Amino acid sequence: MGERFEQEFEELKTMVLDMGKLSTEMLDKSVRSLKNNDMELADWVISKKGEIARMDDDIETRALRLLTLYQPVATDMRTIACCLKLNTYLARVGRYGKDIACVTKALKGKKHVSKLVSLPYMAKLVTDMLNDALYSFEHFDVSKMEDFSERDDDVDHLRWSIFRECLSYMMEEPKYIKQCANYIMVARYLERCGDNACKMNEKIHYMVTGVRVEVDKDYTAECCEDGGEPCQNKQEQ
Amino acid sequence: MVKKIALSVKNLNLWYGSNHALIDIDMDVYEKKVTALIGPSGCGKSTLIRCFNRMNDVVDNCKVKGAINWKDKNIYGKGVDVIEVRKQIGMIFQKPNPFPKSIYDNVAYGPRLQGVRGKKKLDAIVHKSIKDAALWDEVHDRFSDSAMSLSGGQQQRLCIARTLAIEPEIILMDEPTSALDPISTSKIEDLVFELKKKYTVIIVTHNMQQAARVSDHTGFMYLGEMIEYDRTQKIFERPKKRLTEKYISGRFG
Ligand SMILES: Nc1ncnc2c1ncn2[C@@H]1O[C@H](COP(=O)(O)OP(=O)(O)OP(=O)(O)O)[C@@H](O)[C@H]1O
Ligand SMILES: [Mg+2]
Repeated sequence: MGERFEQEFEELKTMVLDMGKLSTEMLDKSVRSLKNNDMELADWVISKKGEIARMDDDIETRALRLLTLYQPVATDMRTIACCLKLNTYLARVGRYGKDIACVTKALKGKKHVSKLVSLPYMAKLVTDMLNDALYSFEHFDVSKMEDFSERDDDVDHLRWSIFRECLSYMMEEPKYIKQCANYIMVARYLERCGDNACKMNEKIHYMVTGVRVEVDKDYTAECCEDGGEPCQNKQEQ
Repeated sequence: MVKKIALSVKNLNLWYGSNHALIDIDMDVYEKKVTALIGPSGCGKSTLIRCFNRMNDVVDNCKVKGAINWKDKNIYGKGVDVIEVRKQIGMIFQKPNPFPKSIYDNVAYGPRLQGVRGKKKLDAIVHKSIKDAALWDEVHDRFSDSAMSLSGGQQQRLCIARTLAIEPEIILMDEPTSALDPISTSKIEDLVFELKKKYTVIIVTHNMQQAARVSDHTGFMYLGEMIEYDRTQKIFERPKKRLTEKYISGRFG
């Protein structure tokens, strides 16, 4: 491939990394805004929605352009295919960040039911996964993603413990219903972001090694074993 | 599914004088599959493909060691009928090379040489070969026109029809589309895809995407050696050797 390909190809990778940084930041800040009742921060997150959509489109356009003009193969092809998937996953993460920021706005002026500990902790686990996935993408090194399966399990368990905690608050005191319903939703958004990090892991793994792996394969079995918990549809975003 | 081996190359070495042009080549070519040979100019693709029907025999100073086993015998063994080998293993060249005769006579040439007589018999062979070469629609009403009046792409398909008329088992193609426009090229590619239902095809190409599109197995050669030979999908998705990766992704030298 010529220099022009190399340059456009490197730019594509940078575009994905930039989008990764922004969407992870949106997710992180959205949960901070919720924790601290920070409307300004929530507004910042919401204002980034258009930028994420634009990045998503730009990456797709660039990747398709490289595929048609240069018909890359092997590592180049796998990398571009990976970029085309990552932009989708990252767009979802960014959108979940925006959704969480909207929860912050909806709960404006309301004191938290109790000190918000689990949700920020959950957000930390998820953003760490996202950052490690982006690191792997940037450095062509899958070592930081080896334990994603366990980390994703932790995220799933946190979601259910938040769910149970909220249920008991709601039963105790109906005036907490609105807040708790929102916390449950945020926990679900974060859990979905964890799943997206796992999907990123799969695609990056394929990019680096050429071998396909499945990261959250036990998922269905697990959620049904859980007994009584609402079972979510895997196809859902 | 067990793949049947059509040709088996064993430790093949070839010299043009002191130039060691093929070095320890080992490969199995599978029956009714398309095998592509790729690699930079001068790496020995044409030399190797010409070994399959002993076309190198006519080159002065050319020495071959090793074996190409075909139907339990070595093509380079003693007492092998070279004419019979060339009849069963036909070759298509880079530049279409029809004879300066009519379309019909080009295709009937081989069968006539083999002693086929009678208009009915010859017609049947010629029609079938032209149909199998995907040329029928374009020439069925002008059989007596000169082959030279055909376009390059049509001439190439005529050469394929001429080869099919002698009912080979294996068809060798050395850059069969490099002189053709994209439409003729895609016709030939479609044809190759059809041909493998009945024939074993070995094709040399400089077009990486063409190799990826038409072949089941791909061999990457470099400086006379077979660097990597594997399923085409593997070669283009996840080659084992760095050299292969560098070559196919255009980062060579
Ligand atoms: N008839 C010949 N006499 C002497 N040397 C030859 C002959 N044909 C090929 N060679 C030499 O053998 C080597 C391999 O040539 P070959 O034609 O097989 O390469 P190739 O891979 O087909 O290249 P290209 O892609 O340019 O067609 C080269 O070094 C070439 O110079
Ligand atoms: Mg050649």
